[in-house]
Amino acid sequence: MYSQTLSKPLQDYSRQLREWSASECRPYARQADIDKRRPDNWREILDTAPIPLGRADVPEPDTVPTFEEGHWVSHFAFYENINYGDVWVHPTLGNGGIGHLVVQAMGTPAQIEKWYDDVFVAQRGDTGFALTEPGFGSDTSQVSTTAVQDGDSWVINGTKMYCTGGAFADYVVVFATIDKSNGARGINAFIVPRGTPGFTVAKENEDKLGIRSWTTSELVFTDCAVPLENRLGWSAEGGDAQVGKGQGGALSALAWNRPNMAAMAIGLAQASIDTVTPILRGQRAGFTPQRWAAVELDLEAMNAALERGRRLGYLAQTTVDQGAPSRTLSAASKGYVPETVERVIRHCMQLLGPEGASKELLLEKWYRDCKIIDIFEGSGQVQRIVVGRSLLGRLAG
Amino acid sequence: MMNLVPDEELTEVGDLARSIGAELLAPAARDAERAGAVPDDVWRKLFETGLAVPVPEEHGGGGVPDPMTMLTVVENLAHGDPAIALAAYWNGAGALLLAEHGSTEQHQHLAALATQPERRTAVALHEGFGRGAAELATTVQVDGDHLRLVGTKRAVPFASDAELVLVVATDPDAGALRVVVVPAGAAGVTVVPDSGRLALDAVRAADVDFDVELPASALLGGAEAPADVEVLVQRLRLWAAAAALGTAQRAIEYAAEYATGRIAFGQPIGAFQGVSFPLAEASMRIEAARLELVGAVLALDERPATEHDDLVSLAASYAYGVGTQSTRDAVQTLGGHGFIKDHPVELWYRSAAAMAALDTDPARAPFSARL
Repeated sequence: MYSQTLSKPLQDYSRQLREWSASECRPYARQADIDKRRPDNWREILDTAPIPLGRADVPEPDTVPTFEEGHWVSHFAFYENINYGDVWVHPTLGNGGIGHLVVQAMGTPAQIEKWYDDVFVAQRGDTGFALTEPGFGSDTSQVSTTAVQDGDSWVINGTKMYCTGGAFADYVVVFATIDKSNGARGINAFIVPRGTPGFTVAKENEDKLGIRSWTTSELVFTDCAVPLENRLGWSAEGGDAQVGKGQGGALSALAWNRPNMAAMAIGLAQASIDTVTPILRGQRAGFTPQRWAAVELDLEAMNAALERGRRLGYLAQTTVDQGAPSRTLSAASKGYVPETVERVIRHCMQLLGPEGASKELLLEKWYRDCKIIDIFEGSGQVQRIVVGRSLLGRLAG
Repeated sequence: MMNLVPDEELTEVGDLARSIGAELLAPAARDAERAGAVPDDVWRKLFETGLAVPVPEEHGGGGVPDPMTMLTVVENLAHGDPAIALAAYWNGAGALLLAEHGSTEQHQHLAALATQPERRTAVALHEGFGRGAAELATTVQVDGDHLRLVGTKRAVPFASDAELVLVVATDPDAGALRVVVVPAGAAGVTVVPDSGRLALDAVRAADVDFDVELPASALLGGAEAPADVEVLVQRLRLWAAAAALGTAQRAIEYAAEYATGRIAFGQPIGAFQGVSFPLAEASMRIEAARLELVGAVLALDERPATEHDDLVSLAASYAYGVGTQSTRDAVQTLGGHGFIKDHPVELWYRSAAAMAALDTDPARAPFSARL
């Protein structure tokens, strides 16, 4: 039956998560931004959560509950509400990386068992995703990192940028070309465990505009040899025709995570609106009636804009949960939300005046954070290409 | 006769300011942010150009630019770096107020300001969201030979450095806008410790509470003939808004250059309309916003004072909107390279938003979810 209302248990979970992240996590947001890392006492902070968070760092790891709406819808709610506190929180849970999603999408059964089920699920390891290079971002066919077969190894050479958590991931999924003359079809994914000789962290963390508490690493691979069976979709004996290959695998792995990034942005924007609303109401006497009316309309319009973004994201994730995922809707969600969120947070600052851009409040931080959400995991332009292709086919580009 | 093309002299001054911005301000931008101050040598060189402190020649300065020239100078210095440009601008604005409207006694300050670069003045104007001068809540009331100044000013440049703070306030009895010249350290002046801002650190802004009693001669223009500062205060808002456009212009030029060299999908990314159109949109809007600021500067002399608040708020709010949108589009053009500090676009993104928070009128820049 058609409904736009979340089930009561998911509503309750969301509310508890939101209240907890705001009261217990947000107070550490400023320092995490300054220090460019999570708070040192992050475990104790997580211990105060009244609901399961999907923690990997405890003897008996828990999971984000899946409600009757399904796994992906539940996670959309999770990402919005945990980020309502601040962006530093969710990567501490051990699911900040996305390399395992590529393993799941492109791996052979044996690879999935070893690197997804065992390292990611059982050991709750951190996984990294290394696709972007200094010379390209959106055009993934330009991978210039190479992998050359040498006896029973693949030898990888190249530089990767913007790898979230890359410096400390248990393994990184590295995209490299085995045949430059074959263009996009020559690109393969390789699992490179931390500590592999030739795998070095060139820069642990970039100096970024926002989301500074996340580690964004530059990785260098110099004659870095991994076993043949670390090539995703292949065993030492050869390819598994049943599994996805090449960059397509990387993109489908990212697709279902995109609405979650939109949810993250919505969390920041809602936090911004909820921060300024009581302050503005307290200053109401300073506004002319005409201007106060404009402020109230703005608050209403900003909340409505976020609600539109929420609906798009929930729809996209519902299609995944129902087994008929739509890459177009996924892209629509991530295309629509971050730019809208930027505008919301910026407007919140403007409504407050100079106080809005002051570090007394977190609006200025969230304005820095949200800009990145419109770029990583497929920029706003790329999402528009994906949506455009649903209308125009390959003409859209 | 209508003529929207700047004359030769204005163009030359604009070009000069732009080259100073490029050669002096731009290379110092990151240092200024790190230090939270304009580097000393940069400040001195900027001071020597004569563009930083507008003081008339009879008071030892290099002359006061006309309003249109000021608009061009601020825009083009901000093209180099908005924080340093605004630091210079707001410091100079104090001198300008003193020069234009000061009493003979107050003019005594000018010789030092014109010749000693380490001297600072502050103008305390903003009070929260962008509002017209007629709505300022800070008041000055004159009682015999004394005055009392009460109110809170936000983001006052050089709040802790200035030897004179020129506070814009309304005089409810006179029904007029006044400026009170408050010496640093006067009893009742409280600079609120500042925890920093999104950008523009070199402006060294802080909130300041005033509950001050001073001799009535502290009114700008003197006790006998307090100056009518309304038009100049409105101009201050317009000139400041020009900095948003200089920043926006620089950001899209930088992004366009990047888009010309960056190859993706077999061609420079600038060949894609998805990349070039937002920059083209920004360019059109910057042009329109600049003309609107010019129009507002002219209208201040042509239209009755009752209309000034509205036309200034409208023009300034639009310019700030263009500034924020253009800089975000510039970051977006660079993609991942846009959000790391290896490129300056992230600095402009922050600066434009920090400027917009100073003087955007909610009634004239409503939130709009793009349709």
